[in-house]
Amino acid sequence: MAKVKVATAWLDSCSGCHMSFLDLDEALIGLADKLEFGESPITDIKKFTPCDVGILEGSISNHHDEEVAKDLRANCKILMVFGDCACFGGINNMRNFFTDEEITSRYYSTESTTPGSATPKSKELPALTKVRPVNQVVKVDCYVPGCPPTPKMILYALTELLEGRLPVLPTEIMRFD
Amino acid sequence: MQEITLTINGQSVKGKTGDTVLTICRANGIDVPTLCHLDGLSDVGACRLCVVEILSEKKPIPACNYPARDGLVIKTSTPQLERYRKQVIELLFAERNHFCMFCESSGDCELQKMAYRYQMDNDRFQSLFPKLKVDTLSKYLAIDHNRCILCGRCVRACKEIAALRTLDFSGRGGQTMVAADLNLPLGESSCTLCGSCLQACPTGAIINKASLYKGRSAECTSADTICQGCDIGCEIKVLIKDENLVKIETTDRTSARGALCNIGRFEQLSETRARITSSMIRNAKGKLENCSQDEALTAAAKKLAELGSNCGGLMSPRIPNETIAQFQKLITGTQKSKIIDTLDGKEYRTISAGIRQYANGGTNPEVDPDIEGILKADCILVVGADIDRTNPVIGNLVRRAVSYNQAKLIMVDANQDMLPLWSELWLKPAAGTEKVVINVLANMVISNNKSLAELKPELSRALSLNEADKVTAKTAIAEKDLQTAAKILSQSKNAFIIYGNKPAAQNDADLVTSLLNLTYLLQNGKGERLNIVFLKPGINSQGAWDSGAATKDIKTQQPRGLYLLLSDDIIDKDWLDWVKGIDYLIVQASYISPVVEKADVVLPSRIWDERGGSYVTAGKRSAKSNPVIQRYGLIPDEEILQRVAEKLIAIPSRS
Repeated sequence: MAKVKVATAWLDSCSGCHMSFLDLDEALIGLADKLEFGESPITDIKKFTPCDVGILEGSISNHHDEEVAKDLRANCKILMVFGDCACFGGINNMRNFFTDEEITSRYYSTESTTPGSATPKSKELPALTKVRPVNQVVKVDCYVPGCPPTPKMILYALTELLEGRLPVLPTEIMRFD
Repeated sequence: MQEITLTINGQSVKGKTGDTVLTICRANGIDVPTLCHLDGLSDVGACRLCVVEILSEKKPIPACNYPARDGLVIKTSTPQLERYRKQVIELLFAERNHFCMFCESSGDCELQKMAYRYQMDNDRFQSLFPKLKVDTLSKYLAIDHNRCILCGRCVRACKEIAALRTLDFSGRGGQTMVAADLNLPLGESSCTLCGSCLQACPTGAIINKASLYKGRSAECTSADTICQGCDIGCEIKVLIKDENLVKIETTDRTSARGALCNIGRFEQLSETRARITSSMIRNAKGKLENCSQDEALTAAAKKLAELGSNCGGLMSPRIPNETIAQFQKLITGTQKSKIIDTLDGKEYRTISAGIRQYANGGTNPEVDPDIEGILKADCILVVGADIDRTNPVIGNLVRRAVSYNQAKLIMVDANQDMLPLWSELWLKPAAGTEKVVINVLANMVISNNKSLAELKPELSRALSLNEADKVTAKTAIAEKDLQTAAKILSQSKNAFIIYGNKPAAQNDADLVTSLLNLTYLLQNGKGERLNIVFLKPGINSQGAWDSGAATKDIKTQQPRGLYLLLSDDIIDKDWLDWVKGIDYLIVQASYISPVVEKADVVLPSRIWDERGGSYVTAGKRSAKSNPVIQRYGLIPDEEILQRVAEKLIAIPSRS
């Protein structure tokens, strides 16, 4: 049987979900027989090529995130999202209670320790949007919430996928924090 | 109450008329999810999670307020019902800020548990992100309206348990908010900080500032003991993590002692005084310094031997019976001193003198009925008691009686009407004339019901000297108000009198006698126990008084040395001034305080949650505390006393 090709990316997130993925430890060795990894933050390849499973971590918080999510969605058969940020918007949601102006001025002026305190303005920088979970931008097939998802939850989801089922986490192992 | 039979999920189950469908389901182990239901509170059907299918009804019906009938056929779990329930949860999540990873209650939250149960792994509905206020100005409580699901449990707890009605809803529909009073910040409202709402809140909307970041309930071990904040002795559950007190909760919110109060729930959690963790002795330079326990005990015993019967013992009313017995053994037995008293001995002597005067040579009457009786009272007379400060749980009971038993509350207090929203009448006697007021009321009660005059003719004669018009001039209370009060008292069938120990009422044994007379008349001379409660300063005041340790005023006996068993209590300025005149002072205490700084020998004492023992609490009810936590490896108070006694006996030169 051909290996299942997986590509991953992180959006607005802390990379904790990827770390939790690595925390699968010895289970990764078993998975390596069935999975092969394509584009990921580790390979640092910016454009996706067609794959079976796409995995996203993080919320959609700016135009760049939207683009990455759409690119991966177009290239994968099944899109799975990891973590509370991708499922619900997560901790980044806090930003939605303030305007972009308030956020940037707080970040670059009020609390900044660098002199000058100007908010950077460049066309190169992606414009901020409201923080949204991934499913408000592209269709998502399955969700693994958690901050971060525990290795147990990730392993359950991947195992279900490899068995040909869309995973829905059982109550006993599901958690949001 | 008639037995009824229902069919739930194809299973035949029994219940009683008057039960709701939910009650019967729960009693029979049939799981129905709920959020707005809380045992001990009324049901309002706010959350719609408990919807069930009832054969005779067209639509799904909330089980929590559907009265069960004989022959109902009910299904509690169908794919449609489960879909509805999941949708309720999804909509609740979308309504406000329900993002768990930055919530203090994550892990303890009932909404979160429901989301897990219904495997809600994404936001089907876009979150609304309303920006609502967070009220953190109250001393111990914070309300984060962003986390509120409007289940109304706090509102009902405030109304039904604390009977305060501080919290209620404001606004309509999607704009509904929980509000304190007329939308005041909680800290400025009528809230008494009993924390009933806190324990009722299923989410992170009401937060305990004294427990913040100390750990989740789910990670704590729990232990039962009793609160030692006042003489009621409420049963509490203490949650502990890493040898830290995290939360104090009630075990049964519906019981008379189940509401808890600011002292029981919060003050004991936020202790800031510095602890005494080692024995201390005054050195040659006159400074207190740490020493081994043996050194301290030896020094104390040596001095005690020197002082002999010239050394008195003074103890806090917070310590349990076992320690009192050990202390008495040391002072009156080993030390052969007759000088022993409690910090609240004065109250005892006033009350017991009043009781003796009332008994007039006969047997003393039974007083202090169980405080639960307040709930059944139809008239409550409060004299000289600042209930909401000293015994807030009794305040709740009084309010509950007024709200739910139509009890009429009469306050007799010179300075303030403690429960102004609840009292029917506030009598404001001139200083020291409380007993005159009570006597004239008693006289009026007799004139309203002449047959009472025959109960105790000599009493009636004595009381008849109190004529209303003369009393008015003396007490500054209008005759009309006295008439109204007497009318309320005369009409009551189950009157309850609460006597406190506010300064104005102190030291007046005659007032105690007058109150006992009035109670006797109100009870028509019937009943074994007089419905009068004497609020006492400490949890074990009654136990200490019963042990005979407070019969004689220590101040009049002028001991040269003093063994002060203070434990975690505090002493007031009067005592401190008196103690300053003592030559040699041994203090067994838990916290650094001015009196400790005066001591020659200091022995460390355990605090309330570290000690076990028995107490006689309000209503002469015996209660037990358990040592639920241990700190600094301190030994129990009675063991220290035992060791002092042993050292003392071993001194050969002892006369």
